[in-house]
Amino acid sequence: MSSVPAIDANALTKEYTNGRGCRDVTITVGKGEAFGFLGPNGAGKSTFVKMLVGLISPTGGNASILGHPLGSLEAKAKMGYLPELYRYQEWLTGEEVVRLHARLCRIEKTLADRRIPQLLQEVGIGQRGKDRVKHYSKGMQQRLGLACALVNEPEIIFLDEPSSALDPIGRMEVRMILERLKERGITIFLNSHLLEDVEVLCDRMALLNNGAVLRHGKVSEILSKRTSWHFKVGGYTPFLLSWLNEHTGLTIRQTAAGQGTGQEPELGSSVVWLEAELDNEEQAGWLNGLIVEQGMTLYEVTRKQERLEEWFMDAVSGLSHRGESE
Amino acid sequence: MSTILEMTWKEMLRKKVMLLTLLLTFVFLIAFWFVADTVGKNDPGAGSIHNGSELFTRFTNGAFILSLGYFFGAFVIAFLAIFSSFSVIAGEAEQGVMQALLPRPLPRWKWYLGRWLGFVTLGVSYAFILFLAILLITNVHASVPRDPAALVKSFLLFASVVPLLISVSMLGSGIFSALGNGVFMTMLYGAGFLGGMLDKLSGSLRLENDALNVLHNLTGIMSMLMPADALQRRMTAELFSLNEIGGLVSLSNGGFSIINISAYPSVSFIVYAVCYTVIAFAIGILHFQRKDL
Repeated sequence: MSSVPAIDANALTKEYTNGRGCRDVTITVGKGEAFGFLGPNGAGKSTFVKMLVGLISPTGGNASILGHPLGSLEAKAKMGYLPELYRYQEWLTGEEVVRLHARLCRIEKTLADRRIPQLLQEVGIGQRGKDRVKHYSKGMQQRLGLACALVNEPEIIFLDEPSSALDPIGRMEVRMILERLKERGITIFLNSHLLEDVEVLCDRMALLNNGAVLRHGKVSEILSKRTSWHFKVGGYTPFLLSWLNEHTGLTIRQTAAGQGTGQEPELGSSVVWLEAELDNEEQAGWLNGLIVEQGMTLYEVTRKQERLEEWFMDAVSGLSHRGESE
Repeated sequence: MSTILEMTWKEMLRKKVMLLTLLLTFVFLIAFWFVADTVGKNDPGAGSIHNGSELFTRFTNGAFILSLGYFFGAFVIAFLAIFSSFSVIAGEAEQGVMQALLPRPLPRWKWYLGRWLGFVTLGVSYAFILFLAILLITNVHASVPRDPAALVKSFLLFASVVPLLISVSMLGSGIFSALGNGVFMTMLYGAGFLGGMLDKLSGSLRLENDALNVLHNLTGIMSMLMPADALQRRMTAELFSLNEIGGLVSLSNGGFSIINISAYPSVSFIVYAVCYTVIAFAIGILHFQRKDL
């Protein structure tokens, strides 16, 4: 049973009459894994998540959750879901909403009595549990949604933009909650625009565009693929660049001064920024020496590991995506 | 399912739908008391009936008051049924409430049935209170039927509008937007009501036979589209046992044709209305099973 993946989707497809949806999405998420699902607006991310939680019927392919067919009660019993569009019964109190979810999950009353206040406390609305949901802010409703998703102690949790309405502190708190869930071995499927969350939390990820998986892989591998180094060089002459490229065999280019370093260009001076993709620090030291040998002044060297945001921008730049026409 | 049923009751109570309905019902019943008192003024009195004519007067007064009360009551329970349920699927799906609930280990048909039962039990309970109140008020001012079988049958017909309209309303809510379904249901109910109304008035229009036949066909189609008003007319017929008293007494209420109860639909039509309800419910639940949210 341990070999059964948490999510096993094979060519999962949803075709709408307007051509949207997603097609032939094949991914496997192992138990205890945190999986990030990225993509521009309208890429089909939410459609895919909704298929996994049983809100939408696929038009093709198949998938299972923890070995159970999509939409089956067995699969639903083991999952938690925080929808992208979240609203809760405003005539109920926060505590009653979570209790409603607990009852639907057939959780015993005594257990629910103990667990619900703890959960509300954990998501940061413990003091407001007795208030009607209609008095909750969007951020509080999102926290409430997280409590609902966790009430059955799920083995897998689907989170569709879990921090979209939260302030920075709220986002940090949610991230910490998710980190704790991950430590407890709960599988996390995170659909988020907050690439930083995916970067910090997820083991693997997939990028969806126009309803199809464009790229996928381990987050650590994607981020370690390229480490670029930036050299702030004074007394620069164009000869230096061609000389360096010729003698090092590396690809070194001049960037708009300070680009990507948070520094503004120094117009009118002979100070420039050079960028090179290097394997390690030794290579950087060697390049430093060469620059100085050529009579230039080296003001600053910065190592810049690629962030997920840049990877994402790079992956989707130039691609048309369906969100543009919305 | 019981959780969803309970949630539905809580929703109706917390949203103050029932409170407002009961308050307005109370206001209506006060007004109805005075109407019944006015109409019942020419009542010969229970202990002073000297001849058959006075008996008929007392009976027709009671029939008129009851018909008037149930005419209004039918409106109220119809609109309560429609407005309580017209946005149950579309509205909750548009807001996002349903997307959080349905991934729970609860079969969709149980959610649907739970909501349906919640609305129907509330509506029928309210219909019972209204039915009884109208009957008791009329009893104070005029004569009312006392045959228990007739009373039970007429109440069941009176309340049958609730499951009928809720079944159609929930079906529409799964197909149309909340606003669209509200308009659709109001117009559908209006069409059925208009069909019944034209049927009642057709006798006083002095039309040629051909024109009358065409009109009857049209009103028949309208009643078939929405048999709620027809159920209501059958209800008054059962209450006064019209098939038994036959031509003994005229219940056309003179010129007040709107509540004319002398023309009423057949038993076959009641069977049709029951089938209509069951089919609407079945299609609604099947459609909801496959609905993408």
